[in-house]
Amino acid sequence: MKSNNIFRHAVRGLAVLSCAVVLTGCLSMNSYVDPALPLVTKADIAAPATTRPVQIALEFRTKGNANAAGTAELQPRVIAVAAESGLFSSVTRESAGADAGLLTVVIDNVAVEGENAAAEGFGTGLTFGAVGNMVTDAYVSTITYTRGGETVSVDVRHAIHTTIGNHSGPSGLTAVTPQEAVHQAIDQIIWNGLDKLADRRAFD
Amino acid sequence: MRRTIRSVAAAATLLALAACGSTPAPGYQPSIANLQALRVGMTPMGVDDFSAAAGVNDTRLGVRADSMTGAGGDGAFSTYLQQALETELRNAGRFDADAGLRLSGVLIENRLDASGFSIGRASVGARFVLTRDGVVIYDKAHNVEHEWESSFMGALAIPAAMQGYAGAMQKLTGQLFADPTFVEATR
Repeated sequence: MKSNNIFRHAVRGLAVLSCAVVLTGCLSMNSYVDPALPLVTKADIAAPATTRPVQIALEFRTKGNANAAGTAELQPRVIAVAAESGLFSSVTRESAGADAGLLTVVIDNVAVEGENAAAEGFGTGLTFGAVGNMVTDAYVSTITYTRGGETVSVDVRHAIHTTIGNHSGPSGLTAVTPQEAVHQAIDQIIWNGLDKLADRRAFD
Repeated sequence: MRRTIRSVAAAATLLALAACGSTPAPGYQPSIANLQALRVGMTPMGVDDFSAAAGVNDTRLGVRADSMTGAGGDGAFSTYLQQALETELRNAGRFDADAGLRLSGVLIENRLDASGFSIGRASVGARFVLTRDGVVIYDKAHNVEHEWESSFMGALAIPAAMQGYAGAMQKLTGQLFADPTFVEATR
């Protein structure tokens, strides 16, 4: 009889804990793309007189370590921006022949000094949003174009601010989902990188 | 009312426990360092079967409450390594299924430790054999250790460990492609 009661208490405890774990996923998260990086479009970039094929290689990292899932998700966006830019005759992930250039993109998602998204997010979760926090993800990227033995490299930095729970976002910025914010930030990193490379006549 | 509460609790319990199971390793992504190494004068080659040495865990690695399998129809980690090499070579335009130059190998180490609250670790190793028209021209073992930031929370530690394992495999292929003896043998 006693062991039966203990079992019932254990089941109830597990159920309560499970509910708490599941409910913490209901906390609201809003992301805001940092406004510091200029908005660059195709019209802002001077295309070379002759366009050539390019192979794109992306490596997305988290705190310096290769992140295969991030790379797989973001690679199509990088290829899409490069294709839309009009800077290349064709854009591919695979080897594109002897005349092709190679555009490598390394994007490292690093922690912002003094902040820890995981720890603060967890703290907010325990109080069901009553505290609220804003965390910042920084993206440090290096974009390099190589062709015919010539290499030009540029750096682009970006950031996403995310509020978790009961917390107002940065004033003047539009709230989007975390995934949409990442997509916007990656697109802007690539547009700015291509613009900087074109300014340095890398594609001529 | 009590029945409704019990149903909600049961559903929540199932949702929370659903994460416990077996997950395939993340799809291998070629590295930029490997791409650059392979583009420099390496001859196209084919990739043959890989297997695991006796006593090496080739089918399932524990990741806290979860576990991870390899790749391909057999879900083996030796197959994961084979596909990783093929992916790297294809990405660099150095894969030729019919080439006389053939790469094969044996997985000799395959460990994943996601138990740490601050650091996760993986150790992987393989003996790589390169043949040209059936003659062995390279036979060497490579091992790598890889570390990443882990967490007390399984929800963060488990995906980090899976990404970390893929990173370890990327390091292993990188060590092979950067080996001057290997590069020389392919020429």
